[in-house]
Amino acid sequence: MSHTHDKSSALSQGVVIFIYLAVLTALEYFVAVTFSAVSILAVVAVIKLALVMYYYMHIYKLNEEGESDRDSYSYKTGSNRLGLWLFLLSDAFVFAGLLTVRINLLGLTRPHLNQMLGLFVTVVLLISSFFMNRGETLMANGDRKGFLTNTMITFVLGLGFLLGVVAVEWPMAAAEGLTASSGAAGAVFYMMTGMHAFHVFTGLVFLLIVMNNARKNVYSAEKHWGVEAAAVYWHFVDLVWIIFYPALYLIGKLLA
Amino acid sequence: MKNFFSTALARGLFWQLIGTLVGAGLVTGIRAAMGLSTTDTFFFTEPAWVLGAFFGVLFFIGGSGIVTDWFKWARGIDTPEHHEDHLSGWQKYLSVSLDHKVIGVQYTVTAFVTLGLGGIFALIFRTELAASQLQFLTVDMKLFGQNGPQLYNTLMSLHGMVMIVSILLGIAGIMNYVVPLLLGAQDMAFPRLNAFSYWIAVPAAVLLIMSLILGGFDTGWTGYPPLSVRAPVGVQMFFLGVFTAGWSSILGALNVIVTVVRMRSKGMTAMRMPILVWASIATSIISLTATQLIGLSFQLVMFQRLLGMGFFDPAKGGNPVLFQHLFWFYSHPAVYVFVLPGLGVISELLPVFARKPLFGYRWIAMSSLGIALVGFLVWAHHMFTSGMNEYLRVPFMYSTLLVAVPTGVKFFSWLATIWKGKLSYETPLLFVIGAIVVFLMGGLTGPPNATVSVDLHLHDTYFIVGHFHDTIFGGFVFPFFAAVYYWFPKATGRRMNETLGKIHFWIMTPSFFVMTLGMMRIGLLGMRRRIADYDPAMGFDSTHLILTITGYLIFISVCVFIYNFFNSIKNGEKAEGNVWNSRSPEWQVPSPMPAHNYDQPFEVVGEPYDYGLPGSKYVEFSAPTKSKHK
Repeated sequence: MSHTHDKSSALSQGVVIFIYLAVLTALEYFVAVTFSAVSILAVVAVIKLALVMYYYMHIYKLNEEGESDRDSYSYKTGSNRLGLWLFLLSDAFVFAGLLTVRINLLGLTRPHLNQMLGLFVTVVLLISSFFMNRGETLMANGDRKGFLTNTMITFVLGLGFLLGVVAVEWPMAAAEGLTASSGAAGAVFYMMTGMHAFHVFTGLVFLLIVMNNARKNVYSAEKHWGVEAAAVYWHFVDLVWIIFYPALYLIGKLLA
Repeated sequence: MKNFFSTALARGLFWQLIGTLVGAGLVTGIRAAMGLSTTDTFFFTEPAWVLGAFFGVLFFIGGSGIVTDWFKWARGIDTPEHHEDHLSGWQKYLSVSLDHKVIGVQYTVTAFVTLGLGGIFALIFRTELAASQLQFLTVDMKLFGQNGPQLYNTLMSLHGMVMIVSILLGIAGIMNYVVPLLLGAQDMAFPRLNAFSYWIAVPAAVLLIMSLILGGFDTGWTGYPPLSVRAPVGVQMFFLGVFTAGWSSILGALNVIVTVVRMRSKGMTAMRMPILVWASIATSIISLTATQLIGLSFQLVMFQRLLGMGFFDPAKGGNPVLFQHLFWFYSHPAVYVFVLPGLGVISELLPVFARKPLFGYRWIAMSSLGIALVGFLVWAHHMFTSGMNEYLRVPFMYSTLLVAVPTGVKFFSWLATIWKGKLSYETPLLFVIGAIVVFLMGGLTGPPNATVSVDLHLHDTYFIVGHFHDTIFGGFVFPFFAAVYYWFPKATGRRMNETLGKIHFWIMTPSFFVMTLGMMRIGLLGMRRRIADYDPAMGFDSTHLILTITGYLIFISVCVFIYNFFNSIKNGEKAEGNVWNSRSPEWQVPSPMPAHNYDQPFEVVGEPYDYGLPGSKYVEFSAPTKSKHK
């Protein structure tokens, strides 16, 4: 697959990648419920990470040769892009630290959680990433209306994920005795989902800002760094969940 | 005085106070509505103080005006790329400026302030240690809700962290001021982010000091649980202060990396970058990534205290040793964050004063990266006695010893650069040579600590304290002073006084040698670190007295420096040309540096350090043209 600026092929590429991701997620779930092999789950997660980073976050753009005039929009966007990726790298260390905490404290065990709900919110977040990519592609082709529609869908799905975790999953887990102070498993579960939810929340704020600006006609096909940044950040939030979902829901034996 | 109250600093501090009250009031109100207790030893309850401190930082950010442009962008309003500084004199430096040179000076002067504070804390507890038994920090005295030994613990802990913040500010000061000039850039890549990084360090420092008043904390700067879980509410201010200062460091590092990657002038390939630029990159890679882990580890303790989350509580299935892993994953590489820019300054200045090419440029450039990368793999050497798995000891011992290799490369290069050079002993060179010798002492006392069998005995003794101060003075303090003496004329157009500079050097250096060697001596004899008192039967009362005296001498020498610094701004000898006869681009234009740096761009046409080679050139300025930036 080549990364082309041609609108329809870019859109269909988004669909194909989404299908890959969906199939991999289904495979992940199937592996987990049948023969729970951590190594396979890890491989699947890494493939998903690579797909999202390349096709949705367009990491290859870091290598793009833009205009050489340093005062040009394109050169500054190149610098901004590098800055954003460095920020994400830094942020990834927080999540890597939390993952370390989870592995150290829980090892090959996991807390009892509602599997269906976990799968549901994961799928919701995945679909939101698809619409985000679609919205960004449309903006890059100057389709402001299409961008607004797709980003609105992303926003609603993202909000659904956030509420699904914080307003549904948390009270359900607490009702079953898994509270923040009940033990290491509870502490790990609330801290990991909480830190991720905080990032989802900031991503939603970011989406509101770019939608508002798009309504004011701030962005164009050539100049829409704000949109790209919001999209990359949104995909990053998805990226974290690609690791956190199996780490919390799928690997290891159920804690008694 | 009226002028002062209109500065960003004063507004920020005012709003931080308001924010603290709002946040604390909010929690207190909610607690009152829920029927929970609303007051505690320090008036507000702990959750109220935490949210208050957090709101205080947010209000500072909003109130000081550093995010105004970003809020405009978020609403789709464009702002000019640069804002000219309208103020002049000291007011400019207390206000938000986007000029990297102003921000560099702000960082540096804030580093002086925190250096002074940390130094005073050290002097207070050093005075108590001058003789065995408790003299004035007694059990009967009471200050800020703490008795004498508790106050000792707080001051000892704060000395550590305030100095670390001071060092982070100091290196940020040097990098901010110098790196864009070395690159030929007009500013950093993200001027607003740069201002933001500086200004959030201010509320962070306020939080650190607040911890002293709110009961202090007795954990040392490391804040290990379970001690930090039981410490007074002051430890929460400490956590939040470090967390905020960490963001300053992370965002500053991000800015440095992007600036170096994207803003180099024509012809400056990787292998023609000044060594200080290489060192800044190496240091920034660590601060960008690893800093998150100290923030996370402190956050986890914070939540354990607030919500009873059992991360480090064995009774709940937690693991206190896990904290140490997370903590040291940053806090060991952090010492390389502290020293790498300093070592870069040494390599940068030495050829200028030796009038010879820098020996082994490529090796030096790569050794900075080497130290940074190996630095990520050594953290558990702080934990040989912690009860972690024993099989981890040996790999961490070897990875630690490995650090000596790239560091050794630097020493050989410095020696070979000095060899047969025509040294001119001006103040910056004195401090560079002081740095090399002191850092060598720190380096040589390192491998014994890295070796498991020896470290089991040396761990937590004064030997470690002596070793640590050697590395930090050699790697940061001496080069920092060298850098200030060296680039002062660039910033002000005047020189600092040579005589006072030499007095500063000749008081500080011998005192410092006596001090650290004395520390190592009593450490080997069994003096524990972080302890307010010791047994007279140990027989090192007299050594402690000498250590205290040298502490005061160092303080006096730094006072001489501070006087020299501020006095020379107005009264220093004029120095507007290439004072040090350097090849570096920033010295090819008159001092002080104009607002947008170079009028004409330059091209790099040769090697940076070919001093003394006939006909060699580093940079070539293009012919004067009409500059598009006024």
